[in-house]
Amino acid sequence: MDVEQLKLILAGIEQEARQAVQAAATLEALRGVRAKFLGKKGSLGQLMGTIRDYPPEQRGLAGQTLNAASQAVTALFEERQKQIESSEVAADASGAGAHDPSLPGVRLPLGNVHPVTAVQWQIEHVFQRLGFTVEAGPEMESDYYNFEALNIPAMHPARDMQDTFWLTNGLLLRTHTSPVQVRTMEKFGPPIRCIVPGRCFRYETIDASHENTFHQCEGLVIDRNISIANLIAVMRLLLREVFQRDVKVRLRPGYFPFVEPGFELDMSCLICGGSGCATCKRSGWVEVLPCGMVHPNVLRYGEIDPHEYTGFAFGLGLTRLAMMKYGISDIRVMNAGDVRALVPPSRMAGPTIVERN
Amino acid sequence: MLISLNWIRDFVDLPRDVSPPELGERFTLTCAEIEGVERIRVDARGLIAARVLSNRELPGSRNLRHVVLDVGGGKAVETVTAAPLLHVDTCVVYAPPGASLAAFGVIREAKVEGHASVGMILPGEAIGIEMAVQTAIFLPPYAEPGEELAAEAFDDWVIEVDNKSITHRPDLWGHYGIARELAAMYRRDLKPYPVVRLEELTDVDLPEIPITIDDPQRCPRYSGLRFGSVGSQAAPLWMQLRLGHVGLRPIDCLVDLTNYIMMELGQPMHAFDGDKVERIEVGLAEPGSTFVTLDGIERALPDAALMILSNRQPIALAGIMGGLDTEIRAQTQSLLLESANFEPATIRRCANALGLRTDACVRFEKSLDPANTVLAIQRFMHLARPEFPQMKLAGRLSDAYPEPAEPVTVEVDPRFAARFMGHPIEAKDIVEILTPLGFTVDEDADKLLVGVPSWRATKDISIEADVIEEVARYVGYNSIEPVLPDVEVRCFEPNALHELEQASLRLLCLGLSFSEIHGYIWYDSNWTRRLGFDPGPCCELKNPASAAMHLLRQTLVPGLLASVDLNRHYAADLRLVELGGVFFPESAQVQEAHERRHLGLVFARRQKGAEETLLAELKGVVETWSSQTLGKPARFEPHPADAARPWEHPQMTAQVVVGDAVAGRLAALPLGLRRAMDEHLAAWSVAWAELELNGLCTPAPVEKVRPVPAHPEVDLDFSFLVPVSARYTAVAKQLAGFEHALLKRISYVGCYEGKSVPAGRRSLTVRCRIGDPARTLVDDDIASFRTAFEGFLGACGWGLRR
Ligand SMILES: [Zn+2]
Repeated sequence: MDVEQLKLILAGIEQEARQAVQAAATLEALRGVRAKFLGKKGSLGQLMGTIRDYPPEQRGLAGQTLNAASQAVTALFEERQKQIESSEVAADASGAGAHDPSLPGVRLPLGNVHPVTAVQWQIEHVFQRLGFTVEAGPEMESDYYNFEALNIPAMHPARDMQDTFWLTNGLLLRTHTSPVQVRTMEKFGPPIRCIVPGRCFRYETIDASHENTFHQCEGLVIDRNISIANLIAVMRLLLREVFQRDVKVRLRPGYFPFVEPGFELDMSCLICGGSGCATCKRSGWVEVLPCGMVHPNVLRYGEIDPHEYTGFAFGLGLTRLAMMKYGISDIRVMNAGDVRALVPPSRMAGPTIVERN
Repeated sequence: MLISLNWIRDFVDLPRDVSPPELGERFTLTCAEIEGVERIRVDARGLIAARVLSNRELPGSRNLRHVVLDVGGGKAVETVTAAPLLHVDTCVVYAPPGASLAAFGVIREAKVEGHASVGMILPGEAIGIEMAVQTAIFLPPYAEPGEELAAEAFDDWVIEVDNKSITHRPDLWGHYGIARELAAMYRRDLKPYPVVRLEELTDVDLPEIPITIDDPQRCPRYSGLRFGSVGSQAAPLWMQLRLGHVGLRPIDCLVDLTNYIMMELGQPMHAFDGDKVERIEVGLAEPGSTFVTLDGIERALPDAALMILSNRQPIALAGIMGGLDTEIRAQTQSLLLESANFEPATIRRCANALGLRTDACVRFEKSLDPANTVLAIQRFMHLARPEFPQMKLAGRLSDAYPEPAEPVTVEVDPRFAARFMGHPIEAKDIVEILTPLGFTVDEDADKLLVGVPSWRATKDISIEADVIEEVARYVGYNSIEPVLPDVEVRCFEPNALHELEQASLRLLCLGLSFSEIHGYIWYDSNWTRRLGFDPGPCCELKNPASAAMHLLRQTLVPGLLASVDLNRHYAADLRLVELGGVFFPESAQVQEAHERRHLGLVFARRQKGAEETLLAELKGVVETWSSQTLGKPARFEPHPADAARPWEHPQMTAQVVVGDAVAGRLAALPLGLRRAMDEHLAAWSVAWAELELNGLCTPAPVEKVRPVPAHPEVDLDFSFLVPVSARYTAVAKQLAGFEHALLKRISYVGCYEGKSVPAGRRSLTVRCRIGDPARTLVDDDIASFRTAFEGFLGACGWGLRR
């Protein structure tokens, strides 16, 4: 074979390749075609193996000719590859016209924490930002921590204020989260900044607004020079964080044996803005939390010197707060275990199309 | 407690421009909570006194009577009434034709059941006084027929004080104490309390009543006065009206007088029939004895019941109620008036034990001022004399007060007061505030010596903080400028259990689709019985909310199952979680009752026979929870079901192990139990897990990451058949014994039973990772590992699954 013959053959191959490349519609097909021509066993590849068959003086030329043909065919492929790729990109960009970008996702069922837990976390978050610890104490409590160490000795009439579940073993179900006050004093010593969210129990008849099992959150601050002015400031800050707006508060005398002085803290009614409505019994104020300066006797029970340290304490009704926040009007659903009554409707089903009462 | 504003005005001239609701608001902000302010508007015009001349049954009527009344001016009228007890000569409140009341309008002549009736004998309920139905309002014997009755006394404002907010203030259990606060609030003078002079009762040549007090601790003071020539008659109208306005029923002048003084001063009194009581002894009841109280009930006396006795015969339950035998009756002429002071705890214990909460005991519980015993008697005489002009003392005022109360003085540092309030205050402000409240203040260097008035000294005020409260509330809590505290920075130890609880709920509810529920901490025995569960020894409530709810729970599972039963109506796939306390009684092993925090999980699906899937998923949840919140892997060990816990499946129960600690149990619910709960649950599959968090809060060692190997590693999966009786833990233990130079790790992939797996066998798939840190593996390495591992499996008796 001489170079002239080779040229002829190559022209044929090139022609053949041109057609095959045009016929290939996809990148996969194109890769197949490419192997047929440029692969080791492809038509051009095989010709490469024949170069040593040429006379030595022609080998150079034959090689150049073959390379040129190979480059030309390669260019054909590359051009076609670009064509196919760009048409695929264009098809991808314009195709799938039936797609609805507004369709909702496919999701796992949503889990939910109990409304009280949700509110508890919110409160914990506020106080943790202020450097408070979150403490806990037993629900099955002793008379000592629940009453005596809180300056409520046996036969004190204040025990009437908190009808108690008594146990046959001499213990009781704590009537408030306040027993953790002295427990925390014993644990840390002063200074103290803590809150105590937890379950409490009162022996009373259940109806839509009374439960024998409910959640409170105690708060306690003990340091040098803690004052009534401090108490008011912290309570105002707490309510602002909880309700996410400035609220007006007022303090009035309240009696709790473990604080002196004791206060009831009222908040301007969020429903009527203070002008008076059914919720606030026309007064413009809603009672939100009892609080007060820690009684020196309670500090002494906690082995803290009342001459050196003063403090304040407060009790926030978590259950009531959760009812306010989520619009729950019947307290009995809180412990009834029916998830529907605890979870906002849109979290229960799939994505909501319309919600009617 | 109800407060009459008319009554208050006896003691203080309130400013005219303050409305009663404003006054209530001011009182709430300065002193104690006012629950309501209500106007009593009778608007009575033209009411007169009338005397009963005759009274006969009306023929043909069951309860109506025909009454002739002397209405003054020599005139008599005939009226028909349902009022009982209209004895001839008694005087009543009468509305003649033309008189008017807000409730009835103008009274006209009328016919009652066909009989002409002129005017109306006014029943108590017509003007809002609680009396026996249709009972007339009687007037004292000195009332003159035709006498016009003052209209103002019928109208009043009544203020309700929240009893809880005055638990610590014995002085506020009477109008005079309330008036003192109001006088201080409005900077008015408090008028002196009108009483007879003490000398009139002491400087008389009459015998004393012998009084013995066994234990002055229980009865610090006993004062008594004997008098005669009194009788049964109505109290003056104004007194009856006031008692009525504050919710007491007018009965008879002598009784009304004691009630009136109780409502005025807070001091309960009791009137004995003087002829039946020779002497007074105060002592404890004989153990096991009974006593008939004046309501006619024979009561078994509790231990340490304090009694008033006469010649060792009990005549009254001290501070609670008098006895029937010595009760004053219509014909009683001679009285012994008791005005005493008792120890609060003694009275309270006895009243609680008897379930007898009288107005008297409610007050004695509050630590009354012992100074009031004599004052109340002086007041009694002041009010009684005009009613009983012929009344005679039959004895000298007798007063046993063995250990008079020491005056209380409190040292107050004005600088501390200012610091404690966070508000500037000076000594002179303190003096100005305290003086109108009855305190005395002496300056002593830079301290103030505050003398506490006797009515605040029994329990209420004994320390500096108590005095500062008085100052602060009169400064006005709302005038104190809020200031955030200046605190010492301190890093507190973390509360690991609380953090674990929060992390667990966060993961399970926000990440793993669980819904949190709260239940009660006691079992509902109706439910546990249905489950066939006998709780065994439990912590037990003495006074449960209902008889079926007396045992405290030791497991969360029954409550979670109740919730499944409730929620299955609307959901086909439930994932519920509860986190809460469980309670264990003292036992041979543990000396004290104690509680633990448990995490309970339940999966329920409306699908029959899906227990394997559910258990696998629930185990996956527990594994994720354990790794994510504790940083330790969880594993499961076969465990026999506890026969006492019907929710443990005989075959499908496992123990959860975290690290080296047993953390709880996990099981499927047996069909029998599902049926017992609810027929519908037979078509469901249910699995649960219960974990005890307390022991798990130990820090986990941090697992280090490994560098990416320089030469690639290869994963090889092997599926092989083991007998269904072989437990994964045992198989895994055996696999762990396989040694090979290239082996890096063997891990569990899955298991399969069913098609292509012979009966009695289970196919397990494990993944072996092999590699050589020094070189890239070649085909021969893989082939030789395969041969070695398959050989090992064969040697264990586990054929490859083909
Ligand atoms: Zn309102």
